[in-house]
Amino acid sequence: MYDVERITIEVISAIACLILVRFMIKPFRLTGETRYLGLPLGFGFLGASYAFSALSFSPLFDFSNSGWVQLFVRAFAFLFLAVTYYFSKSAKSPKLLWNTTLGILAAIFSVLILLAIISPEFLWPNYLQAQVFVRIFDLICLSYISIHALRSHIEKPDPTTLTIPFGYILLGIGQYSLLTWAIDASIFAFFTGLVLRLAGLSVFLFVSYRTFYSPEERGNR
Amino acid sequence: MKTIQRRDKLKIYGDLLAALRSESSAEKIVLTQVQVRIKVPFDRLKTYIAELVDLGLIKDETSLELTRKGKQYLGEYDRVLDFIKRMGLAYR
Repeated sequence: MYDVERITIEVISAIACLILVRFMIKPFRLTGETRYLGLPLGFGFLGASYAFSALSFSPLFDFSNSGWVQLFVRAFAFLFLAVTYYFSKSAKSPKLLWNTTLGILAAIFSVLILLAIISPEFLWPNYLQAQVFVRIFDLICLSYISIHALRSHIEKPDPTTLTIPFGYILLGIGQYSLLTWAIDASIFAFFTGLVLRLAGLSVFLFVSYRTFYSPEERGNR
Repeated sequence: MKTIQRRDKLKIYGDLLAALRSESSAEKIVLTQVQVRIKVPFDRLKTYIAELVDLGLIKDETSLELTRKGKQYLGEYDRVLDFIKRMGLAYR
């Protein structure tokens, strides 16, 4: 039910993330600092999870373990973003620590994906239960990122830095709605979650476009 | 005690180009003022300037005028720093 609508929203979300990766990679490309690699990785994984979600609902795709893969890819997307924010507040240079963390996360991710493909029952006997736990984990990551971004805004108040925390909060509320859907199968919560996600991604696109392409912003600098 | 955070070379290049751009409105760019602005020792400042000339970001070591490529780099540098700030991240 509602497969066409869902596929459409997932495809739009995946395209939005793909565009965002182009912007998110810029800090890493210009500064060469690996700690900014979490931004393109996070949005890239997020886009991949939405693309995977769209494929799993498509009649063209038949992969029984797609739910697990999508669940892990999305969880790691938020984890990469949370780790990026965590390391950004450190006053000391955390290059080695960040590189090690990135390596460990990549290794854990690979093992989980392999397990999800080969033997999902080894991970968790009940997929629905696992879905609830993973969504709670996503919510925790998004809450941490939102608080971190809001704190940065409070430390140096500037109207331009308020929009991104708002985007993360929208993604967080969207995740909460999807958690509600995972628990009580409410279709209203499900579509609210998808719409809020689209709104959150639109905020990121808006900020990225304004920063890099708006002639007004260029003039101010 | 207040500590000065370590900067990578790209940040120093960006800071130096920004300082040269703002000093360029004066009749003559005084290097000691640039040095004070970007907080690097004088000998290293001279090295960075030579590197910027090699990279084609400033015309020569006497005029210290930004080339078109230098202005483009500085524009992109400003935008990326602004983006990092808007994302709620820190940049040393």
